[in-house]
Amino acid sequence: MTDRISISDLKRMLSEAARCLRERHEYLSQLDCVAGDGDHGTTMLSASGQLEAAVAQAPSQNSRELLKDCGWRILSIDGGASSALLGTFFLGMAETASESDFGCGALAAAFESGLNAVLKQTKARPGDKTMVDALVPAVNALHAAAESGMPIPAALEGAAAAAQAGAESTKPLVAHYGRAKFLGEKTLGHADPGAVSMALLFQGFSEALVPRREIDHGGF
Amino acid sequence: MRMKKFINDPRRIVPELLEGLALAFPDKVRLAGEGIVARAKGKAADKVRIVTLGGSGHEPGLSGFVGEGMLDYSVAGEIFAAPGAPKVVEALRQACAGAARALLVVLNHAGDVLTANIAMQTAAREGLAVKMVLTREDISGGPNPDDRRGLVGFLPVYKVAGAAAEQGASLDKCLEIAERMQLNMRTLAVAVRTATHPATGHPIFDLGEDEMEIGMGQHGEAGTGRMQLKSADATATIMLQMLLDDLAVSAGEELLVVINGAGATTLMELLLIFRRVAQILKEKGITLARSAIGEFITTQEQAGFQMMIARLDEELIRLWDAPCNTPFYNRI
Repeated sequence: MTDRISISDLKRMLSEAARCLRERHEYLSQLDCVAGDGDHGTTMLSASGQLEAAVAQAPSQNSRELLKDCGWRILSIDGGASSALLGTFFLGMAETASESDFGCGALAAAFESGLNAVLKQTKARPGDKTMVDALVPAVNALHAAAESGMPIPAALEGAAAAAQAGAESTKPLVAHYGRAKFLGEKTLGHADPGAVSMALLFQGFSEALVPRREIDHGGF
Repeated sequence: MRMKKFINDPRRIVPELLEGLALAFPDKVRLAGEGIVARAKGKAADKVRIVTLGGSGHEPGLSGFVGEGMLDYSVAGEIFAAPGAPKVVEALRQACAGAARALLVVLNHAGDVLTANIAMQTAAREGLAVKMVLTREDISGGPNPDDRRGLVGFLPVYKVAGAAAEQGASLDKCLEIAERMQLNMRTLAVAVRTATHPATGHPIFDLGEDEMEIGMGQHGEAGTGRMQLKSADATATIMLQMLLDDLAVSAGEELLVVINGAGATTLMELLLIFRRVAQILKEKGITLARSAIGEFITTQEQAGFQMMIARLDEELIRLWDAPCNTPFYNRI
């Protein structure tokens, strides 16, 4: 049972998140054809490559520096709002991240700091059919798990499930932000690609620490 | 639908098109880093730099307006996507070298604004003297300015701010000129046929053969309503009236009119549209003081156009008339 996240755990989490995004990038582009110009999957494929490069080239054993590097690398992708917000999320995490290993509470705090950085850059709030709809429940689930003293793998599994439920919850919503807002009701019935990407990220974080067979691969 | 475009590697379109721009106009522009287009000839250190950013696939916008009297730097993103903030920060560092000051002109689109905000925060931490102006003149976004996109109105904003900078105006003065221009302009777009995304090969929206959509954005974002395709005169009349009402133009005022082709609409059609606009303004006793017609920002082979009107005053007219020398807009 893991009760601390070491730098090698963090690297595994980032690598697994990169794998999840890469495996589903075509699906993400299909979703984006409904609401945008169909390039979200391509952007997330680039983000996935940047996460892998950050892990492979991490110069030090410093978690905070690693997260900062992930953020700056993702910001450098020309992916419009999606990569700008995802990069901002990692830079926000780096602001409060521990330099070495994390307990569950510190991990929740780092994710919350990432969320707050995103909320500073966008006016989107839960219910606006954006990545925020997956991120907020994931952070809330992590906080609740930390408070109840849950071990980290179970806490991240709960966060991944909450993010997935959050992404699902965007299906009946009408988009209010980003390019999709101009499509209004055309977006009804389809999950927001940014929310699905965020859920895939958390799925990867969770799968890095939980044996694969325990994860339900249904959903998306 | 099979895409018929002359491209090489779809992932290399942007660097290749910027290379082509620099090779075609070596006396006007040069490449100054990945995705960064700069003026070929420098400017005195005490003059304000005008910088912009935006996605590619909209040529000649935006990098085609780098040159004397308009932009100093343009940061180009991927096809239809904002450039990453690190590139914008790099352009701002170059623009502000030697303690120079810069005005960042941003078109109101979600990704562009996010990138600009992140870049502005970084620039502030580095002590760079940069101010930002947001253009938002597309009236199909509704009454709230935050919901109005930046369309072809960037052209007069680059022009008047660039002219002011060239004449030695301070950063605050350049900002005030740019703000006055953008507050006094209104644009409406109409689309009749979709474009193909050059990297994915997919159409960016669907529109019936006999339909048109007024208010369609630069990327196929839905507008205010679809209707049966109408004549040039009828379309121009509907759109101009919406713009005049929104800007609350009175008889006797002086207007700049820009008609911008979306990529596949012919100059012949644009001239028919312009003719009707001029007739209506004359009937209403509004002065058609200045005009521009052509392709300034396109969306591949999308058919349609943008109609922009702007209220001019004496100072804005003087700045609009000032010389400029860029690849795709020149005044002598």
